[in-house]
Amino acid sequence: MGNPVNRRRLPLLLLVALLLLAVAFLVFARQAPGPGTFLAWLATWFGGPAIEPADAFVFGQMRLPRLLVAMFGGASLALAGAVMQATFRNPLASPDLVGTAAGAAFGGASTIVLGLAAAHVLMVPLGSLLGATVVTGLVFVLAQSHGRFQVATLLLAGIALHTLVGALTAFVVTFTYDNYTASSRVLFWLMGGLDDRTWANAWITLGGFVLFGAMVAPRARELDLLTLHDDSAHSLGVDAARARRWLVWCACGLTAATVANTGGIAFVGLVVPHLARLLVGPAHAVLLPTAALLGAVLLVGSDLACRLVPPDWNLRLGVVTALFGAPYFLVLLARHRRGEEL
Amino acid sequence: MNGLVASDLHLRVGERALLDGVSLAVRPGELVLLAGRNGAGKTTLLRTLVGALVPHRGRIELEGRPLAEWPGRARARQLAFVPQGVDTPFEFTGRELVTMGRHPHRGRGEALRPDDVAAIDRALAMVDAAAFADRRVTTLSGGEQRRIAVARALATEAPLLLLDEPTNNLDLEHALQLVAMLRRFAAAGRAALVASHDLNLVAPHCDRVVLLHQGRVFADGPPQQALANETLAAVFGVHGAAAEGFFPRAFRLPGSGS
Repeated sequence: MGNPVNRRRLPLLLLVALLLLAVAFLVFARQAPGPGTFLAWLATWFGGPAIEPADAFVFGQMRLPRLLVAMFGGASLALAGAVMQATFRNPLASPDLVGTAAGAAFGGASTIVLGLAAAHVLMVPLGSLLGATVVTGLVFVLAQSHGRFQVATLLLAGIALHTLVGALTAFVVTFTYDNYTASSRVLFWLMGGLDDRTWANAWITLGGFVLFGAMVAPRARELDLLTLHDDSAHSLGVDAARARRWLVWCACGLTAATVANTGGIAFVGLVVPHLARLLVGPAHAVLLPTAALLGAVLLVGSDLACRLVPPDWNLRLGVVTALFGAPYFLVLLARHRRGEEL
Repeated sequence: MNGLVASDLHLRVGERALLDGVSLAVRPGELVLLAGRNGAGKTTLLRTLVGALVPHRGRIELEGRPLAEWPGRARARQLAFVPQGVDTPFEFTGRELVTMGRHPHRGRGEALRPDDVAAIDRALAMVDAAAFADRRVTTLSGGEQRRIAVARALATEAPLLLLDEPTNNLDLEHALQLVAMLRRFAAAGRAALVASHDLNLVAPHCDRVVLLHQGRVFADGPPQQALANETLAAVFGVHGAAAEGFFPRAFRLPGSGS
């Protein structure tokens, strides 16, 4: 369960791991430029001689934005999962299972199909936020009975809306089949991945993490209290219903800002908070930063793996995260069946 | 300090009246037992008194000020509540749960201060829970979890304490310790209202017993009066007899021998 020394060292360890992975992410790829050119590129920042513009483009305009999307996307999804599990008082809640991610994908897809995406760079993330908020709000209302969220009800409501919204997204794709550009962009949401990410994607992901992360972080203690029954939270001075609505919305924001740029990336939001809880315990003041760092490490690592396998595998990021996420989810369900705490 | 005063509380769910004109007061220095049959409205009344349920009619005053007008955290510093059961799906340690009791005293994002730590340690000591405070609650026995829940309420340092079945699952020693602790708590000028079925254990130490029956106060007075044989027969349908004095009493169903 992590003794106090480990607990204090762990964030530092994770940070070091993340930095190492980040460098590996920038350096290693199936094609050039490689490590030597990377050092030369770094040197240009400190007044070193200019390198091949094509190489500088690969580092500065291709790999770096992709790295940032993976890093802050992973952190955001993990944070969203941790917040949802506390606010729904349910260890199986997460952006994918509650339907938040599907709603965000649908919202983003709709803005593209309606032709709004061209108007402003923020249209897609705002559409995602709207979609995420509506779907999550519906699950929130449907799954709640007397201030509690039963595992079964929450999952059923989540699955129902997930399927419905997924079908709507599919309809949006087929409906606009004659518009090849739009429908291929929408297809991207169904697959999930980090190919061809630009600085616009990087800034939106980073911005979402900073904005909504800053709203969540000061409320770590309220998250602790929200895991109690509402009576207990109330008696300790927390307006549980209000705090819960606000924090769930922040989780929607974190999810939307990521999904708008990455599409659906399964299981990160579910599994990472669990791993973090195993490492540092459930107190959110420590859990939130640990989960965010762990999510970043996991997504950067997964995407690096995607890029390093033979190109003809065509391995998608969502497939990698599902490969480790789904078995873990099944283990959780098995434990739940045995009546253990999750 | 004026304590907690409730008058003419009405609360109904659909057609069913859970509280049907309840009035009671808990004054400083008092230890009050809230007794009654299953479903008499004890838990509903406690939840209403702490503000978790809003009555349809009637008024509740905390320290002379309507309960609903108190800001949440200020109220929590005056009035603490121990609900039934430990209530989180996550594996907090006992100490982490008791630390939550300091929430009303801490600003947003504020670290634990020495006086917070002192209050937590005091609260753990009051229920003899220091030894297992650093274990995960899921590894604790039912009684140990109850003591952690009581410690969380004590850590708020509120002068008024409402407890719902605090002695459930407690072994004999710790049940007696808890009641003695509540007696000292009241003797120090604070007050506690305890809902319990354990009349022999709790009632002898109480200043008053409020007997709730079908959403109304059936009797309110010193134990000997509120738990007199006539009221016991009327409310619980049992007879009580003591070898000497009034407590402990042997309860028996009518027609089941002596």
